[in-house]
Amino acid sequence: MIAARALIARAAPWLACLGLLGAWQAAALIINTDSFPTAWEAIRAIPSILGDKESLINILASLRRMAIGFGAAVIVSIPLGLMMGRSRAVAAFFNPLLMVTYPVPKAALMPIIMLWLGVGDIAKMLVIFLGVSLPVIYHSFQGAKAVEEKMLWSGAAMGLWAPQRMIRIVLPAALPEILTGCRTGLVLALITMVTSEMIARQSGAGNILFNALDMGQYDTVYAMIIIIGAMGIGLDAAFENLRGRLVKWSEPGFEIPLSFA
Amino acid sequence: MNIVPSRSNIDAEIAAARKPAAAMIEIDRVSQVFRTSGRQDHLALSEISLTIGDGAFVSILGPSGCGKSTLLYIVGGFVNPTRGVAKVKGRAITGPGPDRGPVFQEFALFPWKSVLGNVMYGPRQQGVKSADAEAQSRALIEMVGLKGFEHFYPKELSGGMKQRVALARTLAYHPAVLLMDEPFGALDAHTRTRLQNDLLNIWERDRKTVLFVTHSVDEAVFLSDKVVVMTRSPGRIKEVVDIDLPRPRRRAELLLDPHYQKYVVDIERMIDDTSVEDELRP
Repeated sequence: MIAARALIARAAPWLACLGLLGAWQAAALIINTDSFPTAWEAIRAIPSILGDKESLINILASLRRMAIGFGAAVIVSIPLGLMMGRSRAVAAFFNPLLMVTYPVPKAALMPIIMLWLGVGDIAKMLVIFLGVSLPVIYHSFQGAKAVEEKMLWSGAAMGLWAPQRMIRIVLPAALPEILTGCRTGLVLALITMVTSEMIARQSGAGNILFNALDMGQYDTVYAMIIIIGAMGIGLDAAFENLRGRLVKWSEPGFEIPLSFA
Repeated sequence: MNIVPSRSNIDAEIAAARKPAAAMIEIDRVSQVFRTSGRQDHLALSEISLTIGDGAFVSILGPSGCGKSTLLYIVGGFVNPTRGVAKVKGRAITGPGPDRGPVFQEFALFPWKSVLGNVMYGPRQQGVKSADAEAQSRALIEMVGLKGFEHFYPKELSGGMKQRVALARTLAYHPAVLLMDEPFGALDAHTRTRLQNDLLNIWERDRKTVLFVTHSVDEAVFLSDKVVVMTRSPGRIKEVVDIDLPRPRRRAELLLDPHYQKYVVDIERMIDDTSVEDELRP
């Protein structure tokens, strides 16, 4: 009984995917228009995209920009967020800045950034960097702010001085929250990656998608959507797996599987 | 046994603080003012003077909000007093240090470390070799009754077990003074009694100086050599009561002992008086 339930829980996300594809297939057959291919037609177009060297280079270039933008954002945002969480002065300085930038869609900055930095890699990586930074800063800030004062006092009594307490107490204590921010950031990285390539069309997964759209190759458009979606799911699952191992000491969160991990 | 000579009033305390006796902690006219959002600042502690001898078990007892925890935080170096000086071994306290080990009501364990990792943390920080620190820590974990739980994480332990780990973690770096801030306040009555007994047994072995904050009268009398009764806002020392009960103390014997009962009743009356005074104050 329990084993059966566990099996269903494990299979649930896959069943949900199959259900979605089935609904798509049915809807496309009923609507029956050129701009809405069936799920099967879209899936059939995937091997030809992944088999094409040119397309693969494009997709890998996208992933490379995303990795660099995401990595740089995490490296900068975690220390900044943690310091904001522990120092009123640092928080007072950066908070207004972040409040102003928060509601601006980062892709909306793309035209200005292109003006300064051109349409190349740097501009796109910068947009990804900006998109990822905010959730990571926010969650690191919240995590650091929530660290129990008495935990820091215990560390101080053991002889840890302030910077050591930051790295050896605040950082690990805030890690579950930081990683929640990173997970949101990872998905945002994928979104900004595609949008940046939509605006500055030159290469990348987004470029393949929008070129196909221009040429009316709708099966390729939908196939790219599936590929990008699968990349998102895969990255998220890999990250969740890593997160689960890094913070297994933490209080359990959701019982319902919110990822494929 | 090192019971501090009987003293009953505050002036005598101040006089004693000036003498170079075997004092572990000297608190000299310490006041603490907290800024509040209102116009008036809150005087949490007013002119507190107290001397605690080496190896004494001293409880600070008072109603909530009397500043008893603040006094402990000042000795810990976590809070700087607004006025006055606190000293440990004759040196003014300027910050936290491994000579004063805190144990908090909230446990404050490192949740990302196992029981063993928590207990080893202090010795490792002090530069003790990993293997030595581990051996010492395992012995301490056994002493607080948690053998077999070395690799559990704090989230997997009950409140009483967490406090045992916290005690072992603090004992592991050999502080001269244990600062216990209502350590059993969050525990149920049964667990509380067991931890009190175990704490006394552990304390009997090396007789560290203990400063123990509590609002439980029988806990204070059961454990202490000396009970400092405080009044509320501003926090002042109302009376210092020497508890002349033989050690080692056994709970079952003590509960039947008329001397013990008298201490409890007398101190409860003192606290009742202070509460009424508080209410009458405009």
